[in-house]
Amino acid sequence: MSSPDRQQRLAALRDTIADIERKPALAEARVMVRDLDAGFPLPAGGLLQEVFTDERRHAGAVLGFTLAQARSLLSPQRPAVIYLQLVKDSQEMGLPYGPGMLSFGFDPNALVLVRAANMVELLWAAEEALACKAVAAVVADIAGHQKILDFTASRRLSLRAASAGSSIFLLRYGTGREASAAHLRWRLTPTLSARKRFDPFAPGAPYWRAQLEKGVLLKQQTEWLLGWTQDGFTTRDGARRPATRIAAEPPFSGAVPAHLADRFPQTA
Amino acid sequence: MLYLPTWPTDFLKRREPGLKAPLALYERIKGGLRLAALDAEAGSAGLRVGQNLADARAMVSELSVQEINRPMLEAAFADFADWHSNASPLVAVMRDITQFGDLVLDVTGVAHLFGGEGPMLRLLLNRLRALGYTVSGVIAPTIGAAWAVSHFARNQVVETGDLDTILDGLPVQALRLSPAQIAGLTQMGLKSIGQLRPRDRKPLQARFGISLLERLDQAYGLLEERMVPRIPVAERYAERRFVDPIGLMDDVLLTAHDLAIQLALRLETEGLGGQAFHLFLYRVDHKVMTLSVNSARLTRDPEHISKLFANRSERLEGEYDAGFGIDMIRLAVSSVGALDAVQMGAFATQDGAEDLAQLHDRMTSRLGPLAVLRTQLVASHIPEQAARLVPAIVAEPDAKAQNPAELVRPLRLLPVPELVAINAEVPDGLPASMIWRRVGYRLIKAAGPERLGAEWWRSGQRLQLVPPHVPKKPEPGEKPEKPPYIPQLVKFDADAGTRDYYMAEDAEGRRFWIYRQGLYGENHWYLHGFFA
Repeated sequence: MSSPDRQQRLAALRDTIADIERKPALAEARVMVRDLDAGFPLPAGGLLQEVFTDERRHAGAVLGFTLAQARSLLSPQRPAVIYLQLVKDSQEMGLPYGPGMLSFGFDPNALVLVRAANMVELLWAAEEALACKAVAAVVADIAGHQKILDFTASRRLSLRAASAGSSIFLLRYGTGREASAAHLRWRLTPTLSARKRFDPFAPGAPYWRAQLEKGVLLKQQTEWLLGWTQDGFTTRDGARRPATRIAAEPPFSGAVPAHLADRFPQTA
Repeated sequence: MLYLPTWPTDFLKRREPGLKAPLALYERIKGGLRLAALDAEAGSAGLRVGQNLADARAMVSELSVQEINRPMLEAAFADFADWHSNASPLVAVMRDITQFGDLVLDVTGVAHLFGGEGPMLRLLLNRLRALGYTVSGVIAPTIGAAWAVSHFARNQVVETGDLDTILDGLPVQALRLSPAQIAGLTQMGLKSIGQLRPRDRKPLQARFGISLLERLDQAYGLLEERMVPRIPVAERYAERRFVDPIGLMDDVLLTAHDLAIQLALRLETEGLGGQAFHLFLYRVDHKVMTLSVNSARLTRDPEHISKLFANRSERLEGEYDAGFGIDMIRLAVSSVGALDAVQMGAFATQDGAEDLAQLHDRMTSRLGPLAVLRTQLVASHIPEQAARLVPAIVAEPDAKAQNPAELVRPLRLLPVPELVAINAEVPDGLPASMIWRRVGYRLIKAAGPERLGAEWWRSGQRLQLVPPHVPKKPEPGEKPEKPPYIPQLVKFDADAGTRDYYMAEDAEGRRFWIYRQGLYGENHWYLHGFFA
């Protein structure tokens, strides 16, 4: 066998091996940040993100944080977000509410609710939805510890998400952390809201403290104090400014139609 | 027409082979035990239906008896009837005289598949006889004639030309008449249909009512009689019969895939697509299992259809029971509409609508139709009525959802508001603390109240188009009248509906939506939702 021929064959074999080995590895080595405009590095699609919060009564905050991220993933090719919940959790956790999504800034038409009877069906639906080309994100609201949701299950989900390009968010509650193949793991805590203009006693735009427990988005920064308006995320450096200072800032940065009293737009 | 005079006892004997030969089923009628069904041996021993059970036992000492279970037998007979749809798509159970025993099959355009009407009748009868059923069958031009001949003459195929001569010779009982009518005709000396037919019709109608003439005309084909088929007719279907019965679900699904391809080819040539697909599994032991799946949009994609059936079969779990095997599978399509061929490729719009619709179909087929939902906004300011969850495969998304008044609403709503204990520092002021699910919260910020009243345009009175109903006093021996139907719509209640909503935030930044039910002074507070 001549030497160049042999080298060619060896190179081809190496490529094959690299192909076999690289696929899952590549999925994890991908760029996670999409854009940095708002000060918060928006994660790209195709990731498995776990959003933990300490208590179940923070359910509204985690859903808000997730829908805010999911909204940025929506595109004309991927117009849908699938929300999964177990039937028995509806009364405990509440259901996503259409008019509420409108006032939050999320189009309720884009959200499809799936109410699964048990965890097996929920995971099946999550995989099925991730594989669909038209789904931007899957939001799985899982209250309580689920034995079936182990490392293998989350690995499956993360590979499926990486290959399909749609993100999956697992909303989890409690302080326990299990082994998982999530690309990013957040710990989210609600904080005092921004000041509402003309009404110092009323809650304003929401603020959350998001701590990144796993994965890297920006070098060395693992904590953000995130605000949300209908225009998108806003950030404050929570370490330097106390909550009172934040409240002094106006919540909107962009052009906002003037409001008469509390809710009647002058321009309408 | 198939007539199975002793079907209940035959069925029970087949189900429980231990039952001894003279078998009778009894029923409690007005405090007495009377025979309701007999098998052939009991019948030949001189017993008859309606006889007292004690008398029957005295006449036939070795009689084995059971209480009749009519709902079970009716359901079993319905299954039995469905199974016959492998002979003809139109099968009905005739309940004129008895609840079970009479099967009507419309064999128009079917008989040639079995080599003609005679061989078809022989095949059906032999098949049932081999299973131990006593059966007689007749193919005739009208339902009435078939009933008459099958009950009172030998098995045969009645041609249209022979109809009159054969019917004329039969007794008047063959016309499916009531006992009173039969007694009256016997009194007049009219024993056979042939004697009855030339009589003047007016006096007959005056004495016996219109039903007698109707039955007569139906039997001779002068008046059309309709049957109500048990399984709705599907015009387009594909089916496969098996030499050896199959049992495994995987085999069934593979067959469903093949049938879906066949059906898709047929639909494609016609330029059609379907929204509902039904898989009928015919078991060798006279049962039909049905699996139905629905699709949000018209489709004829065999991969999609077979995937829906695969998902649907996952939901069956323990229900699937192939029994002794399945010997025929039929895939039928309904809700058919025009579906033109679409050019794929360069000019297709990539909006993902089709992918999404298929995803909804797949999830619905496995999780059930009420598990995959979409929000529909309703023009109502009552929060729980402002959004409605509808199955995603039924509802098209609204053109553009809008929040006209820019109301602040919570991101999550509890399906049922939960009672909370609220303290307000000043009467009629903002809430200051709250206890919810046994945990206390100090509320430091609040906005409100937003008062939502009841919808006054829903009238407190019902619309009265007719004078109100006054129940009459029932005459002795007469049943009391039924009250008229009044729809149960929610009526306007001026006081109950008023709610004062507050958006409250506690010291740690949790934001709740709470409301006071009723006006100030009634301290019934509820938590209704969570803000982001």
